[in-house]
Amino acid sequence: MSETDADIEELRASFRAVLEDAAGDIRRHVDAGAARCEPLCAKAAELGWFSLMTPEAFGGLGLGRAAAAALYEELGRVIAPLPMMGAMIATEIIAAHGDAAQKAAWLPRLAAGEGAALSASGVAPNWDDSRFAAGALTGHARELLDSDAAALLVVAAREGDAARWVLAAADGVTVETEELVDRTRGLATARFDNVQGAALTADPDIVASDVLTHASLAIACDSVGGAKAVLDLTVAYLKTREQFGKPIGSFQALKHRCAEHKVAIEAADALVQEAVAHWARNDPGVALLTPLAKALACDVYAAMATDAVQLHGGIGFTWEHVCHLYLKRAKLNQALFGGSAAHRDLAARLLLAA
Amino acid sequence: MAPADKSRRFSPMAHRDDLDAFRAEVRAWLQAIVPEGWFARSAGAPEGEYLAFQRWWFDELQKVGLATPHWPKDWGGEELTLRHQVIVSEEMVRAGAPNPDLFVISLYHLPATLFAHGSPAQRERYLKGVTERGEIWCQGFSEPNAGSDLASLRTRAERRDDIFVVNGQKVWSSFAAHADYCLLLARTDVNAPKKQAGISYFILDMKAPGVTVRRIKQMTGQSEFCEIFLDNVEIPAENLIGAENAGWMIAQSTLSAERGLIIFDLAERMHDAFQREIAAARVARPAWWEDDELRRAFVAHYGDLQALRLMIQRMLRELEANAETGASSLPPLIKVQWSELLRRHTDFWLKAGGLEAQKYSPPLTGGGHVTGNRLQDFMWSYSWTIAGGANEIIKTLIAERVLGLPR
Repeated sequence: MSETDADIEELRASFRAVLEDAAGDIRRHVDAGAARCEPLCAKAAELGWFSLMTPEAFGGLGLGRAAAAALYEELGRVIAPLPMMGAMIATEIIAAHGDAAQKAAWLPRLAAGEGAALSASGVAPNWDDSRFAAGALTGHARELLDSDAAALLVVAAREGDAARWVLAAADGVTVETEELVDRTRGLATARFDNVQGAALTADPDIVASDVLTHASLAIACDSVGGAKAVLDLTVAYLKTREQFGKPIGSFQALKHRCAEHKVAIEAADALVQEAVAHWARNDPGVALLTPLAKALACDVYAAMATDAVQLHGGIGFTWEHVCHLYLKRAKLNQALFGGSAAHRDLAARLLLAA
Repeated sequence: MAPADKSRRFSPMAHRDDLDAFRAEVRAWLQAIVPEGWFARSAGAPEGEYLAFQRWWFDELQKVGLATPHWPKDWGGEELTLRHQVIVSEEMVRAGAPNPDLFVISLYHLPATLFAHGSPAQRERYLKGVTERGEIWCQGFSEPNAGSDLASLRTRAERRDDIFVVNGQKVWSSFAAHADYCLLLARTDVNAPKKQAGISYFILDMKAPGVTVRRIKQMTGQSEFCEIFLDNVEIPAENLIGAENAGWMIAQSTLSAERGLIIFDLAERMHDAFQREIAAARVARPAWWEDDELRRAFVAHYGDLQALRLMIQRMLRELEANAETGASSLPPLIKVQWSELLRRHTDFWLKAGGLEAQKYSPPLTGGGHVTGNRLQDFMWSYSWTIAGGANEIIKTLIAERVLGLPR
């Protein structure tokens, strides 16, 4: 796609304006443990966020990956509980690898915000949990991300010995939601008893790689956004909180930690932006940059959020304060779609293979 | 690869309007000029040989305009854009060319100071001294009791008509034993309201009577650092740079001088070292590659290095758009990222190298900071975490100036 940097910055500003207004929705959602975050979710659908990457022929905005990355970073800044990742990943792989019927069946619904769930277990799909035969799924799919009110399930399955990506409607499927410590995202297990589905005909490894790249960069962008926001929050607190008659931000021990986080976040941001730029222009270099960026951004975010609670002192340990929400999301980000060790091992294999 | 034509004359500057042709010419020149095996031969070479080699290399750079490509044309430079300089640096790394380490102050700190604050006569005399006579400069900033707290320096310069009489002691001056001149900070007003306000900036002739240089043996075994003792040294008033008592402000421009470009070169050399290790691992996996912790540390450092290189690119873009000092907040962040990565990564090689890495081998100079001499490389990483403002000082600066935390 051909959005200019200026276009992306304009989009980013529009995302930020909406999301900054949504702080109340997000807080209520977290406190109540509610299913979908409303009215933010409806607002996002109305603004076309779910259709960001949907081709215009299917009613979408047809914007590129750089625009999606900007949205992910902004969602991360406010720890938004929007099921955007599942929907956008499903949209992208159906648009790229689906047949005409699959596109017509799902792209408009996803664009409208109906939602899609897919497994976030690790760097590789669990092909063996589900069987696909004669157009029907049996077995189960674990650790499905964004399953709340999702219309579509994207399932890794076996058909005979072959790996398959299967699209199945969530209607009539038993989906058991698991409550996570982080209440801005959810995971679920789906059980299939002869559930009708349609397989993508594309090479399943290529689809798997597209899914992992998209998910990893979405999480990396989310992490950079969250890390920047929680550093800002912490610096603002250190400027105003006084002890021993002066702002605690004047103490060198605290200053140095903030400076170290600032350096780390700037480094992660640079690496993630580069990976996104490669992703946006479909450059093969994205393969190596992505696991490096995912591991670095998630680790930097987790370190920042961990320290943010400490630097806020007692207030940071309370439910009322927002710090713990960043900490929980940062820890979940580290674990989704494989941890940092798995991503560095993936990068190690790519370094040797290149 | 075609054999290098050593007989032809090379002129990268003739191709400056075409970046690709410029790069090709720099590459061809390097291929013809860089002596094969210079790096291995420099290990443990006597100092005289090292100095002669550095001078030879400076002269060769000078012949093709690449010693001072970043200087204005009026002062014997080429006024090359940052983009050109990046190309030169990339090609130097690619060719494994030596760094003109002996001339770092001459090539970066001196011009950064004189372009902004020097008198026309000072620029005429001393910049041409570098370009035409290869004069070596050192820096006289730190003192035994003024390191991170540089503004507390006590070396005294008293005015007597047309001269200043200087007494005091400087320390950690790289290559002072070989230097022709020194960028000197000294106190001219002991009663100034702030300690920063009483400091002046001088050009010191290292051959002046009363100047004594003593070498300091470093933990690496080398003696690059020196002490400078100043005993009633007379400096002509015309060697005052800028206004009397304005030295502190001028020193800030010296300290930030081109640090970014120097780190750019070193980061590219580290990247080159990574590429060579990876290429070797493809042929035969080293034992440490099978160790999960070590392999993942290696990959993490690789990611950190890519992030650093991208931060530098970002800084260069910001400076290209606006050359004002302070147009980019990145230089102090880059210094911390680079120096701490250097510490972690040189430490990684010690762990990966086991006892083999503990065995003595003669130090290598002029080849960057990841030379393969593991313990030496690790020890040299302190030069980046301490010199030019210890990281603790830089972190305070980041906290106050970038994050806005209270003093």
